[in-house]
Amino acid sequence: MTMEYSLYHFRNDLHGAWAIAKKDLVIYYLKPAIYMSGLLFPLFMLLAFAVGKSAPIATLIPGLIAITSLFSASSIEPVAIPIERRTKTFDRLLSAPISLFALVLGESVSGLLFSGSICLALFIGGAVLLRTAAFSLPVLLLAIALSCFTFAAMGAVFSAYPTENVGEVMSLLNLVRLPLIFISGVFVPLETMPPWGMAVARISPLTYGNDLVRYGFEGTTHFGIAVDVVLLLVFTAIFLALGNFLYRKFNE
Amino acid sequence: MSAIVVTGLTKKFGTLTAVNNVSFTVPEGEIFGYLGPNGAGKTTTIRILTGITAPTAGTAAILGHDIVEETLTARSHMGIVPETSNIYDDLTAWQNLMFTAELYRVGKAEREKRAQELLETFQLLDRKDDKVHGFSKGMKRRLTLAMGLVNDPRLLFLDEPTSGLDVQSNLIIKDVIRDLNDRGVTVFLTTHNIEEANTLCHRVAIINRGTIAAIDAPERLKQAIQSVQSVELAFDHMGTEVLEMLHRIPNVNEVRKEGDRVRLYTPDPGSVLEAAMASLKVQGIRPLSVNTLGPSLEDVFVKLTGLDRGHNRDPKGK
Repeated sequence: MTMEYSLYHFRNDLHGAWAIAKKDLVIYYLKPAIYMSGLLFPLFMLLAFAVGKSAPIATLIPGLIAITSLFSASSIEPVAIPIERRTKTFDRLLSAPISLFALVLGESVSGLLFSGSICLALFIGGAVLLRTAAFSLPVLLLAIALSCFTFAAMGAVFSAYPTENVGEVMSLLNLVRLPLIFISGVFVPLETMPPWGMAVARISPLTYGNDLVRYGFEGTTHFGIAVDVVLLLVFTAIFLALGNFLYRKFNE
Repeated sequence: MSAIVVTGLTKKFGTLTAVNNVSFTVPEGEIFGYLGPNGAGKTTTIRILTGITAPTAGTAAILGHDIVEETLTARSHMGIVPETSNIYDDLTAWQNLMFTAELYRVGKAEREKRAQELLETFQLLDRKDDKVHGFSKGMKRRLTLAMGLVNDPRLLFLDEPTSGLDVQSNLIIKDVIRDLNDRGVTVFLTTHNIEEANTLCHRVAIINRGTIAAIDAPERLKQAIQSVQSVELAFDHMGTEVLEMLHRIPNVNEVRKEGDRVRLYTPDPGSVLEAAMASLKVQGIRPLSVNTLGPSLEDVFVKLTGLDRGHNRDPKGK
């Protein structure tokens, strides 16, 4: 909407985005819907697939971290924004002297921090209880951070849908999230997929997040670290831009 | 410099024209009332002026900044208090103020000082660390107003600030509005409470069906409709036969029963008073008091918006 954008406004946007992220963490960290969707759902799903298989439970940790980053990071905004629309606090954000991009960024950062902390807790829990070790801790931390930010930005896209009903947004989001976990190499290794399966896997951000997390744990990667990182950044940029566009469109 | 300059502002939603070619100017330091029935276009106007919605046509400038081209700069000078108290129930009063101040990038020392002062002004200091979900409606309203002032705005948008509030909150908020105006803050006030607009506003605009029907000082608007004068009579007991009799008096356009009083609307209060007293004397009824009244701002509003007072026209008072 503005043609006035300057370094001063960019700083204001970063400041505002950080304020929004902090506010979200204080308010929404303990909302049951976020924990159900973000942590318990992926955990139960993975356990359901693991039951009856001979693989040790420790080998589930990389996959669990990958799909937890997807489910928890993308859950904050689809819960927070409809609630804020209902309570009209969303108008407070819309009328503040920050751009829509700052709003989307702030919501995404809160998703990153929330989800990142859960993934780290899973990693630490796995290391302590199951003695799972990281092959490369820096890559693992990078994988968690990038995956969480990408999926938080994806959550921002869905939360732009103009409704006050959390369930409506979550339903739409699950239409995308659930198929993603089956096509991204979490349960079926990429190497064993047919060509059409690989083609589909390539359009899923979870494929690259999962590949990077596996490198962090096992030291093997299908696409290579650089490709995973670049594509996660590309997906993030697309989601942020799309979220910004949709917020502007639906706000009219 | 003008606080608000609106020129040919139009907003369409599909085939519906919510705001139609509206123009007005609000000088700095004025309390400007924006009155209109539900659906008249008040909220749409505010959403455009605060940069939430873009106009279909026309322009609006806030303190010299075009609201479309310089949205962020324009917003940084505003405080906004919407009709709904949009505060975070899961945060404390203090956290709500700090969050809002951070959105406006008010420095830490300054925002803490402002928050302390505002909580004191709005008599919420003793509850500053309590979560808001335990607050009464009036306390939430006061906190919303405090949040609207935390960035020390030069222009304050107030949407129905005292609607449905307790007496204490009402008095505090009205005092604050007057104090702000004394300090030079421009106030853009929308309200259904016409008496509130009458006592607070320097000028009012009456909007109806998206179009401005009139803009002027309340007293000047009243003078413009001198045809809507009235005779007010109070009685010990007022039966339907009295109302029917009063309704038959020539030149009476409308009879309104208000508690133990009845108002006869007329362009000629002298002749109506004479006729009413004569008729009452014939029936042996003596009124407790008699007044002739000029038009109120509500009368101006009703006349300009074409609203029907409905049941009040019924001579039986039903």
